[in-house]
Amino acid sequence: MNLPILSILIFFPMLGVVLITMLSRENQWVIKWTTLVVAVLEFIFSLPIWFRFNSDTAAMQFVERLNWFPSYGISYHIGIDGISLLLVLLTTFLTPICVMACWKDIQDKVKEFMICLLFLETGMIGVFCALDLFLFYIFWEVMLIPMYLLIGVWGAPARRIYAAVKFFLFTMFGSLLMLVAILVLYFYHHKVTGVYTFDLLKIYGLQIPFQMQFWMFLAFALAFAIKVPMFPFHTWLPDAHTEAPTVGSVMLAAVLLKMGTYGFIRFNMPLFPEAAWYFVPLFSVLAIIGIIYGALVCMMQLDLKRLIAFSSVSHLGFVMLGLFTYNMAGVQGGIIQMINHGLSTGALFLIVGIIYERRHTRLIAEFGGLSTPMPIYAAIFMVVALSSIGLPGLNGFVGEFLILLGAFKVNKIYAILAASGVIFAACYMLWMFQRVMFGVVTNEKNRNLPDLSMREIAYLAPLILFIVWIGVYPNTFLDKTKASTANFVAQMERAKAPKVALVDVIKGDIR
Amino acid sequence: MTISIPSITLSNIGPLLTLTVAGLLLLLMDALTPKGKKGYFPYLSLIALVIAAVQTTMLWNRSGTDFARMIYVDNFAFFFYLIFLLATGLTILISIKYLEDYHRNLEEYYTLLIFATIGMMLMAAGGHLILIFLGLEILSIAIYILAGLFREDVKSNEAALKYLILGAFSSAFLLFGMAMLYGATGSLFLDDLAQAIKAGVGTNPLLLFGMGLLIVGFGFKVSSVPFHMWTPDVYEGAPTSVTAFMSVGTKAAAFAALVRIFFLVFPEIKMEWNMLLWGLAVATMTLGNVVAIAQTNIKRMLAYSSIAHAGYLLVALVAANQLGAISFLYYLVAYTLMNLGAFAIVILVARKKDDYINIYDYCGLGFQYPALAAAMSVFMFALAGIPPTAGFVGKFYVFSAAVEAGYIWLAIIGVMNSLISVFYYLRITVLMYMRPAEADLGPVTMTPAISSAVLVTAAGVLAIGVFPGPLYELALNSVKIFVGL
Amino acid sequence: MLISYLPILVYLIISIGLAVLIVALSEALGKKTHTAVKDLPYECGMVPISDARHRYAVKFYVITMFFLVFDIEAIFLYPWGVIFKPLGLFGLIEMGVFILILMVGLAYVWGKGALEWE
Repeated sequence: MNLPILSILIFFPMLGVVLITMLSRENQWVIKWTTLVVAVLEFIFSLPIWFRFNSDTAAMQFVERLNWFPSYGISYHIGIDGISLLLVLLTTFLTPICVMACWKDIQDKVKEFMICLLFLETGMIGVFCALDLFLFYIFWEVMLIPMYLLIGVWGAPARRIYAAVKFFLFTMFGSLLMLVAILVLYFYHHKVTGVYTFDLLKIYGLQIPFQMQFWMFLAFALAFAIKVPMFPFHTWLPDAHTEAPTVGSVMLAAVLLKMGTYGFIRFNMPLFPEAAWYFVPLFSVLAIIGIIYGALVCMMQLDLKRLIAFSSVSHLGFVMLGLFTYNMAGVQGGIIQMINHGLSTGALFLIVGIIYERRHTRLIAEFGGLSTPMPIYAAIFMVVALSSIGLPGLNGFVGEFLILLGAFKVNKIYAILAASGVIFAACYMLWMFQRVMFGVVTNEKNRNLPDLSMREIAYLAPLILFIVWIGVYPNTFLDKTKASTANFVAQMERAKAPKVALVDVIKGDIR
Repeated sequence: MTISIPSITLSNIGPLLTLTVAGLLLLLMDALTPKGKKGYFPYLSLIALVIAAVQTTMLWNRSGTDFARMIYVDNFAFFFYLIFLLATGLTILISIKYLEDYHRNLEEYYTLLIFATIGMMLMAAGGHLILIFLGLEILSIAIYILAGLFREDVKSNEAALKYLILGAFSSAFLLFGMAMLYGATGSLFLDDLAQAIKAGVGTNPLLLFGMGLLIVGFGFKVSSVPFHMWTPDVYEGAPTSVTAFMSVGTKAAAFAALVRIFFLVFPEIKMEWNMLLWGLAVATMTLGNVVAIAQTNIKRMLAYSSIAHAGYLLVALVAANQLGAISFLYYLVAYTLMNLGAFAIVILVARKKDDYINIYDYCGLGFQYPALAAAMSVFMFALAGIPPTAGFVGKFYVFSAAVEAGYIWLAIIGVMNSLISVFYYLRITVLMYMRPAEADLGPVTMTPAISSAVLVTAAGVLAIGVFPGPLYELALNSVKIFVGL
Repeated sequence: MLISYLPILVYLIISIGLAVLIVALSEALGKKTHTAVKDLPYECGMVPISDARHRYAVKFYVITMFFLVFDIEAIFLYPWGVIFKPLGLFGLIEMGVFILILMVGLAYVWGKGALEWE
């Protein structure tokens, strides 16, 4: 049996979109169930890639290759390795959870909402599977549209349009420069080899002069750094996160941000290894600034969602630091931390969404003593908050530990500075938790809040399961990525940054 | 005295003859049939267009010249024939109801559209500068009248007058430029001009001056900065369906002639003109996009957007390579579809005489008329160049061409301009989906004709966006005539 | 060389001479009356000094335009007449098409009622 399983994964949600388009707008219940069934089926379809994945090889698996536009060297070329495997599964895993989470939340324009959600899923899986630069770019851009609509149409009334447009323009800005870089790369490949191709695997082998690598790395990095988001390109993130509906925030945090980090490890670093080494100090420092700055800003937040948004900046700083170590521990830590952040921050947004649904406010000051009326909620919140902090035994610890280990091998100061981020994380997270959950109930409105419903427990439980699983036995996941990571590290070790002054690179006279 | 009569093959200008006959026939029938029995005129014109299109496809792959080298018979011309026929056909579809609503369903309208199409086709096929000029005048005179179709409307009058005066002005530039070229080389045939330049008159100041004047003359017609001043006023004032036709047809025709002249005659002296056009392209893109942001009238917004699109097309001209020529053809097809689609929606939303053409009239459309708004979103995203639409692929080619030719900065400026354009195109979707309707503006009435126009354009924009291959091959086939690239 | 232009010179002298002769004869032989209107400079029958916003029936313009269009088109018949024989049947057909197109125009103008004065 040789099913084109990745294509099925990419386009099955589109089938759902078509199905929902034909349903009547009045029947919200049917629409919701249809979406849920599609999303769950999608997850079930995605399980075989986990079980049939061969963890011993770094080569791309489940590869499909069709000529799409041969005279231009564009092909429909998809496949996954250990890195994208986890991200694809994260996407298919979170989508049904999101559908369940918005069951009550979204009452208005349900049909369009579900269409956007499934459309988004197609785009995200496409990004992680694409092995052709053109195809990748298409998915990368297409995915903007549903996310933009999710924020703009269903977001919080006050500033949703501002946030949506800002999100769109920021991302577009980066990706357009990347498009130019892709084109330069394409024509350079033709110049060297005489072949027109956008095929990533073929372009990997290209020897690019350092001068060119330098600029192309910057162009690609800008696109990805905005998406990650790295300091100082992070300013769209708090707005988008805060204004998006719960599900939008979850998808944004859990999957969309990973596209940035994934872009670095899949495109930037292997394509331009020398430049990637050259930029280690810059990007590590930016990552560390992100870690500390994000954490510090978190402490000052009055709004729960904004706080979590800035904690993303901090956590993604860890991921970037890990990736830029180019050693086994750091990169693996970075990859697993991507998943961790997806799970923990996704869960945090869901949890905030739950009280937002009940109280229609996200201000920390409005709450206090919630553990009394909502004990189950408090317990789950606790686990997730601790996972986000990086408590041993939960998933956050594994990722951050590996990253710090990797960073320590490279530069002790980086590791020490980054470690302070963990402490800050404990500060803001626990402080927030204390203000929201503990103490006596000060606000009368909170006195009789209902605890979690079965539905809410049902979608939070799988997240908790994986949070603990990764924390206790991360090898299940690390094993899958080992071969790909090793290959990546080996690839990076073959290159070294040339010793050139920055001024000379920019002026263009390096010989 | 003996006069050698050139051997001519009438089938080579079959599409032109068909349209001419159809145009004359319509005129005659209009004069002879009594009032109130002329509802079939648009459909008759459509049939003529379809016949012309079929003839064009049957001519495909012929090559050479005819009528004593006056006319090029090649795929480049045929490709443009098809673009023009498509544009005219779609314009007719979106006009019918619009003109009835304004009680201006004059039969001459369709005749003039057909004559304009003939003019455009002559411009694309002309092998002699005077013939190109004649084509331009046939086109322009028809459009002068069409722009002033709403006689009682002051704005329509203003549009017609402005277009007439500036059109005459630009024609003068064009003619003067042609005269200069004749002075430098002694011929007005494009072939001869190319030969003369190869033989080394390239740096003759007379020739360069002539070339500059040609750029000015065509610059007016394609509305490139700084010759764009008329565009917003004329586009705003002219009847919407005429605006749609002008924004697509005139531009495509002027570019067809411009491309043929520059890629056939002037590739040898590329160094002399590409920096000039580089500047024009940057100025055109930037001004068009930046000023479009400030517009609240959707017709004006689309006018500035059409200026910006002329800028992108100039980028392909600057690149002056085969890919550039291909991207021209592809982009013009994409632009025809998306712009006419957008104007179709503008006509629909304007709802009769109430003239809802402010962008805030689009508020809340997304959930009142989902299909309409979805189509508009497709056009807006396409104009903004977001995949998987034809607009994206078009821009992708254009910037590819620029990068291939080594104009990386131009490509960067181009993509940054796309970013600016995203802002105002996106605003329409913001209004449609994210703002509630401000007032009840009454129902949007769809007719089969205009619905089919919207359907064809939307489906086309997506289809050639997802499967760009076949059209690329066709375009590649069409630009093989430019051996100098 | 210049001698070949002699007929033109002769023609010029005769025509100027004739004009001068006629004006001189009428000056010498004619009866002279002076009125206010007669002493105005001649301006195609219009009063030379008056209000510029002079209303003028639009049908004059229409007729003038028709005259111009058809007259100018008809001029094309003259060169054809000069080379009628060398062009032969081809020319006849071409001009037939041309005249046909003109006739369609005329029929249109007629059918639309543009030739009716009232």
